[in-house]
Amino acid sequence: MIHRNILDNGILLLVVENPAADIIAARIFIRAGSRWEAREQAGLSHLLSAVITKGTEQLSSIEIAERVESVGASLSADAASDYFQLSLKTVSGDFVDILHLAGQLLLQPTFPETEVELERRLTLQDIRSQQEQPSTVAFEQLRQAMYGQHPYALSILGTEASVSSLGRADLQRYHQTYFRPDNIVISIAGRVTAAEALALVEKVFGDWQPPASPLPVLQLPPLTSQAGTNVTALPTQQSMVMLGYLASAVQSPDYAALKLLNTYLGNGLSSRLFVELREKRGLAYEVSAFYPTRLDASQFVVYMGTAPENTAQAYAGLHTEVERLCTTKLTADELQASKNKLLGQYALGKQTNSQLAQVFGWYETIGLGIEFDTQFQEKVTAVTPETAHEVACRYFIQRPYVSLVGPEAAVTPFPF
Amino acid sequence: MTASRFPADVFRLDNGLTVIHQHMPATPVVVVDVWVRAGAIVEPEEWCGMAHFLEHMIFKGTNKLAPGVFDAVIENRGGVSNAATSHDYAHFFITTAAQYLEDTVPALAELLLNAAIPEEEFVRERDVVLEEIRSCSDDPDFGAFQALTESIYQRHPYGRSILGTEVKLMEYTPEQMRSFHRCHYQPENMTVVIVGGVAKEIALKLVQRSFQDFSLPVDCPQAQIEAEPPITEIRCQELFFPRLEQSRLLMGWMGPGVDQLKDAYGLDLLSVLLADGRSSRLVRELREELGLVQGISSNFSLQRDSSLFTISACLDSHYLEQVEALICSRLCQLLSEPVSEAELARCKRLLCNDYAFSTETPTQLAGLYGYYNTIANPEVAVTYPEQIKLFKSSEIQQIAQRYLSPKFYAVTVLKPA
Repeated sequence: MIHRNILDNGILLLVVENPAADIIAARIFIRAGSRWEAREQAGLSHLLSAVITKGTEQLSSIEIAERVESVGASLSADAASDYFQLSLKTVSGDFVDILHLAGQLLLQPTFPETEVELERRLTLQDIRSQQEQPSTVAFEQLRQAMYGQHPYALSILGTEASVSSLGRADLQRYHQTYFRPDNIVISIAGRVTAAEALALVEKVFGDWQPPASPLPVLQLPPLTSQAGTNVTALPTQQSMVMLGYLASAVQSPDYAALKLLNTYLGNGLSSRLFVELREKRGLAYEVSAFYPTRLDASQFVVYMGTAPENTAQAYAGLHTEVERLCTTKLTADELQASKNKLLGQYALGKQTNSQLAQVFGWYETIGLGIEFDTQFQEKVTAVTPETAHEVACRYFIQRPYVSLVGPEAAVTPFPF
Repeated sequence: MTASRFPADVFRLDNGLTVIHQHMPATPVVVVDVWVRAGAIVEPEEWCGMAHFLEHMIFKGTNKLAPGVFDAVIENRGGVSNAATSHDYAHFFITTAAQYLEDTVPALAELLLNAAIPEEEFVRERDVVLEEIRSCSDDPDFGAFQALTESIYQRHPYGRSILGTEVKLMEYTPEQMRSFHRCHYQPENMTVVIVGGVAKEIALKLVQRSFQDFSLPVDCPQAQIEAEPPITEIRCQELFFPRLEQSRLLMGWMGPGVDQLKDAYGLDLLSVLLADGRSSRLVRELREELGLVQGISSNFSLQRDSSLFTISACLDSHYLEQVEALICSRLCQLLSEPVSEAELARCKRLLCNDYAFSTETPTQLAGLYGYYNTIANPEVAVTYPEQIKLFKSSEIQQIAQRYLSPKFYAVTVLKPA
């Protein structure tokens, strides 16, 4: 049972009463994130997440940290492509204090110049450090090829060029634009009643008034890129092979079928890719697929790491398995097994208070509403072998975007 | 959280198997987590990597269950399964809806008790393990940590790689692995933890019935475990890694085994005090105030014979010496000046709450009970918060003096090649 309230100032509040443990978790979502960033300011949301906990009109960075850590609570900010969030978790007795602190961070951050400078410098290092992991290099390369000028093309950290140019004034502008009560979802789960939570949120955030100006309308560039191959030669022990297909946003009627196809191919020890490429052929330790839930066009990716001499086989194996979805209809049993797996894991993802607060708050933030929790399960159940096949044909008939990372001799003769 | 009464029941079956059960009526989920005292430390040196390779081969079926059938049984019913191997243990776990226990538990037991280790599967799965090794060698942090533990544990098997090496793995035979399995996967080495929406009687009967027909124990080469002598120097190691953007500094100290749990808890507190959170000493000074490191953390890892205390930082190469010296000087300070009550209270709160946050789900609880029962006893899992709360500032200082010497430690530095 989820209690849903809208405050007079527009804040949407969700509460899940769960007295099982002496814990309360909350997620405060803001409809912002890298999707709202201009290309030359890429990384702004992430930088904001690093600095928003580091100073208010009353408290310094270390005072904020001491308030949180002295009661063993957690309070952190994160930016994602489709949202920005503050996450808190406390034993129930400390929740009031920490929510008050969260309110102060959201409403009165000062973005101290020294903190901006420190976090900006560390972010630049983080961007460079990402090049240390071959899988990250492969994914970055794939994403840039697929999304072109769209913000999804870039890592949440931004680029060295864009982050170098960011400053305190940019953070203030971004904060003023998007941090307003009519753009916020607060989601709370744990040992608290809906009435208590509502009274507390009213007290902390009730006086916050939305500005008269409307929220800016987001203009996103259309996806115009074309499938191709991108290769980075690196002296690694394994080659990373990734294939990507542009796929639908969460609002699309194809979403549930694509989730099922992704589960069928890449989720778990009985998945098609795992069985065919790892169990039967020993080509990989990690072989998998992902299809993230996104507000705009998402990506359907299959990938594996393999010994350099097997790079061509790995590519052919992955490609064949995705193409097979267009040529061969899943049997009723295969589809049912994938549904059980997807829905079973979906249920397992809603166990802790943090998970409950996250999933419902997120659905409201991206405009699906809490009803999506049941709608999603119904939509998955309703997929037939025929609809799954039609959807597969729609997305997987075209050539994939290919990203290869590995020793030069193994990856450069592509197409193999 | 202050209640020390152990909320689970512990049974010892006639065949020697330990069963730990806790009923959580509010959840429809059940976790079955089987812990075996057959981690890398029971391998003789010439069989390095066998325990982990066997963990892979357990999933390759038995005479009754063809390879892949088990995975399908679990996942087609919406469940998940996986396994992990460390030095002190191997464990195998499934998460499943309560109504499917009758299908899933017997299948899990069949795999663990009767692993067939077929020759053809052995050869193929070895390729998968080799891919796992390759993938780890592309990860600089994995390599640096492995080098540090090798430097700390020069005699004890804690210094050996769990994955083994390609050369070694190519020498092993399915017959050797079968004898390793029949020798160690015996009831007295095994704990079945079952936590979630299943009542005691049902759970116990099911486990009793499923974990019955163990194979006859056979002999296999035994590990020679030598106690590790203390470090009486600064053991430096410098490694180079291509493609590295930032250097790594890893410092390590040997801690007590589980026979001195109180000291181990003290080191948990010290790890929080030094580098957990922005208000901890090293994060505050080295990251926040001086900006010398990209990140710094401390970790205490409880192991049966000898625990490991580490401090790790990611930083620019030219700050390496300065940061190592600063860490040593902060340790000196810790050894000579008492910790304030407020700071100690912060560390206690943080650990006790972390504990509360990590006991929300059946998966977490099952892991906690199984782990502690494998290296010590399960009650330890629930007395932890109380024990932490008892610490006095003077005790913390003594424990720091006993274990965290700024003169005797191992240090591994990883630099861009």
